[in-house]
Amino acid sequence: MLERHIQFLVTDDPGEETAAATRERLKGHFPPGATRRMTTLGLLLGSTLSRAEPGEDDGLVYATGYAESCALEGFLDSFPTPSPTLFQTSIHPSAVQQLMIGRQRPVRELMPLSGGPLLAFHALRASLLSPSPRSILCGGEEKGTWLLAHGLASDRTFAFAAALTRERRPGAAGRIGILRDEGKGSLGLPAFFDLLHARRPFDGMIAPGWRLRLEWL
Amino acid sequence: MADPPPPVRVAAWGCITPFGDARSTHAALLGGESALEAVPVLGREGGDPVPLALLGGRTLDETAPPAWLSSVKRLAATVPAGDWGAPGRPVFVTGSNFGVGGLYALRRTGNAAFAEWGAPPTCTERLRLEFGWGPDVSILSHACVSAHLGLLQATRAVHAGIADEALVLSFDFLSPFVSGGFHALKILNSEFPAPYRERAAGSIGLGDGAGFAVLSRGRGDWSLSGQALYNEMHHFTSNRADGSGFAACLEGASAAAGGRRVWFKGHGTGTLEAGRMEVAAASAAFPAAPIVGWKGGLGHTLGSCGLVELAVAIESLRHGRAPGTIGGAGPPMAPAVALESFETAPYGGVVCASNAFGGAHAAFLLSDA
Repeated sequence: MLERHIQFLVTDDPGEETAAATRERLKGHFPPGATRRMTTLGLLLGSTLSRAEPGEDDGLVYATGYAESCALEGFLDSFPTPSPTLFQTSIHPSAVQQLMIGRQRPVRELMPLSGGPLLAFHALRASLLSPSPRSILCGGEEKGTWLLAHGLASDRTFAFAAALTRERRPGAAGRIGILRDEGKGSLGLPAFFDLLHARRPFDGMIAPGWRLRLEWL
Repeated sequence: MADPPPPVRVAAWGCITPFGDARSTHAALLGGESALEAVPVLGREGGDPVPLALLGGRTLDETAPPAWLSSVKRLAATVPAGDWGAPGRPVFVTGSNFGVGGLYALRRTGNAAFAEWGAPPTCTERLRLEFGWGPDVSILSHACVSAHLGLLQATRAVHAGIADEALVLSFDFLSPFVSGGFHALKILNSEFPAPYRERAAGSIGLGDGAGFAVLSRGRGDWSLSGQALYNEMHHFTSNRADGSGFAACLEGASAAAGGRRVWFKGHGTGTLEAGRMEVAAASAAFPAAPIVGWKGGLGHTLGSCGLVELAVAIESLRHGRAPGTIGGAGPPMAPAVALESFETAPYGGVVCASNAFGGAHAAFLLSDA
């Protein structure tokens, strides 16, 4: 079984909060003026990830199915005079970079993943295979507009960041692990987020041949 | 820092470029050929001519289904048969574009048929079904170091014993989305790239490309070691001026080389500052290494360049001769820049490096197993 202790967890589920309200709510997490060009996902992901205080030698895994959907929509709408700012903002893994570049915080390993029904498994596997004593698993989505109408963007906005350690330290929140097992299953990123957000235990198949055990203290 | 993973074998490999397969591509680069041609940056919608290397018969304009699909299928047909995507046989798909050309076409035409391949999850799922893979197909996308991330994840899965072998496949095909974006950043312009050459202004070329590698613990004639990553997080599109990010990333490959004389296959897109910093870092880490860059011939195949150029590097070792740096004129940035092809026999391997937006760096040592 590949497992780690959940040493720290932050989640943010803004529900139907508007992008402007999210920006206003979270601007205090960033230097003055820094939020002007940040995406909604960048704000949410950045505010959760910053509280995990990623260090240079942490293994950083970032999961998102559709990433910066609104910046992508804006870039596509900017043709035939494409916006250089929206181009760079729409490039995976922009949300993490918006925080880390703003803080000038290098990190040796950054593993940005995309995916569908097995994204939670793939992101967990990447985190649990990291050789770093501490890995940080973060992720999120932002709700799209016209891309959503084509099934090419998320229908929800959310973000999370979890610090996972090999050794249990004081204040640990829970334990998470994956192990080989018989059976099939899937767990997309929104469903995984809901487990984390509600601190709900889970013991079930999340991919063909793979079981997730999630326990809370 | 976390130690690099133990060496892993390369059991199979391949690529497609405008020159053909890995063998044809290696031969073309040995001959100093370039596949780059001046193409309107927005395809049928026009714009400035920029250097692009498109697969034969393909235009920059997207079709539904994508015209590049047949090429990826031809490449996938050369992957050794196996239950790819089944438990114990994971697939890692990497790239920076996926079907993003379809998004551009969707927005410009309103034709919903373009949507089916438009996002990484949907595009990869369509490919998974085309190739008959099982469900264990991860997607990694980190701009132009994407392929290296797939190789590292595959290596870890193999060494952890959760994979017998792992397949890494990467593909990037150009569209007005990406050419327009790079043109807007002004690093893709009407000038053809001249990697590692001093001149008044830098420029890059872009290319279609795809590649794969099958990684194994015990099967294969070639070995990857010293795999390492580093993310400067200094600026979205440029590197720290002191070149420290380049140097930090080469520590793993340097340790793996263990004093062996190697040659260095760099990223070498044709931008000036990054080229100078890469040459300086490579020369410091590997003082006797000839430095080559192939993007003047292939164009920059973006997130797939790590796998495309790995396949060419393996062909170089197999045939005993590495192509020199291709493209442009002007004095090289350092005497170590090899402008002509050379014999690989005197060397104990090749360090392959890639870089990306955000000051992301990746490197590994390729050598005889």
